[in-house]
Amino acid sequence: MNVGVAHSDPNPNTTYFNSRGMWLTYTIVVGIIHYVFLSLPFLSVAMSWTLTNVIHNFLMFIILHVEKGTPFETTDQGKYRDKTVWEQLDKGTHFSASKKFLTVVPIVLFFLASFYTKYDPYHFIINALSLILVLVPKLPMLHGVRLFGINKY
Amino acid sequence: MAGVSADPVDASVTSREAAWDLYEMIQACLQAPSYHLLFEAVLIVWIIQLLFVKSYKAKATLTEKEKEELIEDWRPEPLVPEVDPEHPVLQDMENRLIDGKIGRHVNINGKTYLNVASMNFLGMSGRVDIEASISTEYSQAEVAIDTVKKYGVGSCGPRGFYGTVDVHLELEDKLAEFMGVEEVIMYSYGLATISSAIPAYSKRGDIIFCDEGVNFSIQKGLVASRSKIYFFKHNDLEDLEGLLKAQEREDKQNPKKAKVTRRFLVVEGLYMKYGDFCPLPKLVELKWKYKVRIFLDETLSFGTLGATGRGITEHYGISIDNIDLMAASLEHAFGSYGGFCCGRSYVVDHQRLSGLGYCFSASTPPMLTTAAIKALSILQENPELLTKLHDNIRYIYEKLSKINGLRVMGETVSPMLFLQLAGPSDNRELDKAILRKIVQKAEEQGVVLILAAYLEEEEHTLPPPSIRISVSAELTHNDIDRVVSVIDDCYQNTVS
Repeated sequence: MNVGVAHSDPNPNTTYFNSRGMWLTYTIVVGIIHYVFLSLPFLSVAMSWTLTNVIHNFLMFIILHVEKGTPFETTDQGKYRDKTVWEQLDKGTHFSASKKFLTVVPIVLFFLASFYTKYDPYHFIINALSLILVLVPKLPMLHGVRLFGINKY
Repeated sequence: MAGVSADPVDASVTSREAAWDLYEMIQACLQAPSYHLLFEAVLIVWIIQLLFVKSYKAKATLTEKEKEELIEDWRPEPLVPEVDPEHPVLQDMENRLIDGKIGRHVNINGKTYLNVASMNFLGMSGRVDIEASISTEYSQAEVAIDTVKKYGVGSCGPRGFYGTVDVHLELEDKLAEFMGVEEVIMYSYGLATISSAIPAYSKRGDIIFCDEGVNFSIQKGLVASRSKIYFFKHNDLEDLEGLLKAQEREDKQNPKKAKVTRRFLVVEGLYMKYGDFCPLPKLVELKWKYKVRIFLDETLSFGTLGATGRGITEHYGISIDNIDLMAASLEHAFGSYGGFCCGRSYVVDHQRLSGLGYCFSASTPPMLTTAAIKALSILQENPELLTKLHDNIRYIYEKLSKINGLRVMGETVSPMLFLQLAGPSDNRELDKAILRKIVQKAEEQGVVLILAAYLEEEEHTLPPPSIRISVSAELTHNDIDRVVSVIDDCYQNTVS
């Protein structure tokens, strides 16, 4: 059943994002979340785009840049204990394909949100701040850096 | 809602609001504020740059010059190291091959010798010849033979991979009942027990306080754990408390780090290299005071110490609940093979997926498992074995300490004693040569002794050269008298 997709990586956190269909799945999940908001009658289109954007970025920040370590029983004696999931991705390779995808997705979402909120300044501030929150930790020079010792241990 | 939409004015307002006419949005886009457009322009540049940038490793790679330096520095080691053909181990392999069972007596090259070299403390191994004197149905060896007939020779797999046979579960249950713990996990190799257990719990960033004089197996476990190791002087509680206090201060300065750091204390019940006990009651006090977890290796003390053989905890009268994890071996007192860890289920169960020696090694052959079950029942049915052992130890200790020129290292109730030169020279090799001569001469007189052997380059601390005496419950006082007089005789002969 799993021919060709089974891996022997001790820490699947490093490779799971390279699985086949991952990008499509990601896009579909974001789309579904957005359609859920759109279908709520009390939310305007602008609100639902901003909500999608903010929630996506917030979850991305928590899952990729706050969470450290790995839930798997690895045999590397806690090599990844102090690394965030983003730093574990592709074993720390910068600008790998999955990392480029994960950088482009919030930017594209921001463009869409800007367009559908008619470049409203309040929406802009919220969306731009949430975008910066997920773009800054992705910079290669901040790899392994914990600003002000936040989330260090 | 139906009422509202019936009103033509209201309906047109809602439709205009809800429609989000594309035209309106394009208008808004064209009239977008300049700061917004600037921000988007930066993002577009970012994306374009992402398209062209090549991926690279986070870690700095070596420069060509550094690579050349490393290659230059590298000296190949021979695949097979050169060994002196006169090496004592090679000599022993030629001349001291044992034939038959290893019990109170051994057969070397067709001659029978009295044996104080094997760690067969309760005489479990080679029990057939003393069967008549013990009121059990049949011996360990016969049980093992029956098991081979039923299960075959091997178990053919690790415990989690078709290698679990009912007898493994039976032994685990019986040992748990015997030790008074919630759960026992069996390993198929005594040496791998504690060296798998330590890295299962202690990872990078954790701290281990460890006695300097721990055995080789623990040392390997410490290395495998990748944790930070603090060694304290052998059985020196003040040194240990100093280290613990320093750590406590550090933890107070950085409570966030302390919160994710596990602290362990690793000691041996009966030290394999020194023959002395750890001061367990004091260690337990320190454990509660400084919040460290105690790992206790009872490789030698299990089955030999305490009134019923439960080891060092029973010897000191300390509840086993105070010990976070206990590792013991079935290879010495129990005359079988393998080892086990015991403690609370919450702790022990973790090893079933994380103990590398448990996960990736074939389980103990069923015949050796049933032999261990038999050894346990022999021990439970014959507590006098331990009385006999303790009596023998006291007797031999007293006699040995009277030998002029040799010093006994170890407790008066330790089944393993070390005889070292009372006045050692500075030259380790010279001392070893003297002791080796004593061993050779004793063999001529029909007593098998053995030098304590270590991998000298790899040991953390090296005890002084010594002859290792393993006391067995099988020995009679006459045997002991003979051993001691032979050693005394050989020593005086060698020195003079």
